[in-house]
Amino acid sequence: MATTMTTPRMEMIPAPPQSLWGWPAVANFALGGLGAGWYVVAVLAAALERAPGVTAASWAAPVLVLAGFAAVAAEAGRPRRGLRVLARVRTSWMSRELLIGIVFVLLVVADLAFPLRLHRLLAMGAAVLLAVAQGFIVRRARGVTAWDVPLVPLLFVLSGLLSGAGAFLLVEVVAGRAPIPAVVAPVLMLIVVTYVVWIRYLAWSAEDAYRRAVAPLRERRAALVIDVAGYGLPLLLGLLALAAPAVAGPLVAPAGALLVAGQVYAKAGLILAAGRLRPITLTIALSKRRSS
Amino acid sequence: MTRWGMAIDVRRCVGCQTCTIACKQEHGLPADTAWRFVADCEVGEYPDVRRLFLPMQCMHCAEPPCVPVCPTGASRQRDDGIVWVQYDACVGCGYCAMACPYQARHLIQTPAGYFESPTPSEVAQARPERHGVMTKCTFCKERVDEGLARRLRPGIDADATPVCALACIAGAIVFGDLDDAASQVSRLAANSRAQVLMPECGTEPRVYYLAD
Repeated sequence: MATTMTTPRMEMIPAPPQSLWGWPAVANFALGGLGAGWYVVAVLAAALERAPGVTAASWAAPVLVLAGFAAVAAEAGRPRRGLRVLARVRTSWMSRELLIGIVFVLLVVADLAFPLRLHRLLAMGAAVLLAVAQGFIVRRARGVTAWDVPLVPLLFVLSGLLSGAGAFLLVEVVAGRAPIPAVVAPVLMLIVVTYVVWIRYLAWSAEDAYRRAVAPLRERRAALVIDVAGYGLPLLLGLLALAAPAVAGPLVAPAGALLVAGQVYAKAGLILAAGRLRPITLTIALSKRRSS
Repeated sequence: MTRWGMAIDVRRCVGCQTCTIACKQEHGLPADTAWRFVADCEVGEYPDVRRLFLPMQCMHCAEPPCVPVCPTGASRQRDDGIVWVQYDACVGCGYCAMACPYQARHLIQTPAGYFESPTPSEVAQARPERHGVMTKCTFCKERVDEGLARRLRPGIDADATPVCALACIAGAIVFGDLDDAASQVSRLAANSRAQVLMPECGTEPRVYYLAD
């Protein structure tokens, strides 16, 4: 019997699920992204003009963003100290998110009171920054394997835009305004781009800890809801709507609802199911017995 | 310049959890909160299996990821490297816990007692300022600071040394000034067997582990 020595990096403590950020955090990320994305899509669809779709988004988006903040504040241990969250804008993306969210709401309210293209342009920029900030909040969580990924901010921006596009299309149809191909076609491209980023995110690392963390996002149920219902079906319905403009409304409305549901489900999965802390590893020498 | 650090010899650790209990007692931690613990690890594959005890705590990193993410500024780092939480500024958002790669931060929501009603000891040790905020190992900074004020030497004099190092029955935990080349902790940290946990995270921990 001979002995060889190896010094691998061993997983000493397995990765437990994070337990501090639950559904309120999901609500913040989902509602904030939805509100910001809805506003951006509505303003772009109207080419910065004041259209009925912009008015609807202007009323809904601030409510969604503020509802997200309220939800996450309820999760904090000392919610009455909430304003202190603005104290570290220089370093903390959570501070930046709150500041940008407040600026966004103020700009939208200003545009409702005093309609100006400049207000809408600035509010649109704030909306994009809000989604960026939310993405970086997750990205900077270095203790969570599946969050500390460079693609996450881009994923959050695209996800917000996509869910916002879904809400916009749904509301437009419900309000009796037929979606025009010039709006539907870019949304279909957005679906494809977001899906490519999503797939790239799932395959970001070959490390065992990462693969285990994102495994719930690859399971059959998640694939059905996110890949099929959240991307595939809306894409198919959108293409049919472009091919048959006469029935575009009944096709685009469910596509919009599916886009919203798919993105909310994906964010919930990313925060709750894939939110596992890093396993603790140590490099140690192992003796390996072998027959001689 | 002083730079407090720790060296933990896992070859000496027997997993008795005395350091865990000493810490809980010193800081009056509720039943469901421990700022440090000793993980009982099984490594390798049959028949080449080893049992190893890994004491875990805050690493008091030189580049602590928990500090910049804190939105209120409650998470702080002193000049001597100790990372701590200013309780009255913390909102309890949990972001620092998500940023810490070492699972070292703990939110005390509703402090759990050991029995249906609080014991006299629990009442005496209650720290309401810690409810709803993030907490963590402080390297017993109060002991260190008070010891220094009395001209004691942390890591050498018991009254100025963190209780985990003091309580360890195997002498596996050594505390001291990493910038003092003559200190035991700096000699251990310079040992070829010394390593930090997960250096790939770029946090530059100030807790060194000595393993085979």
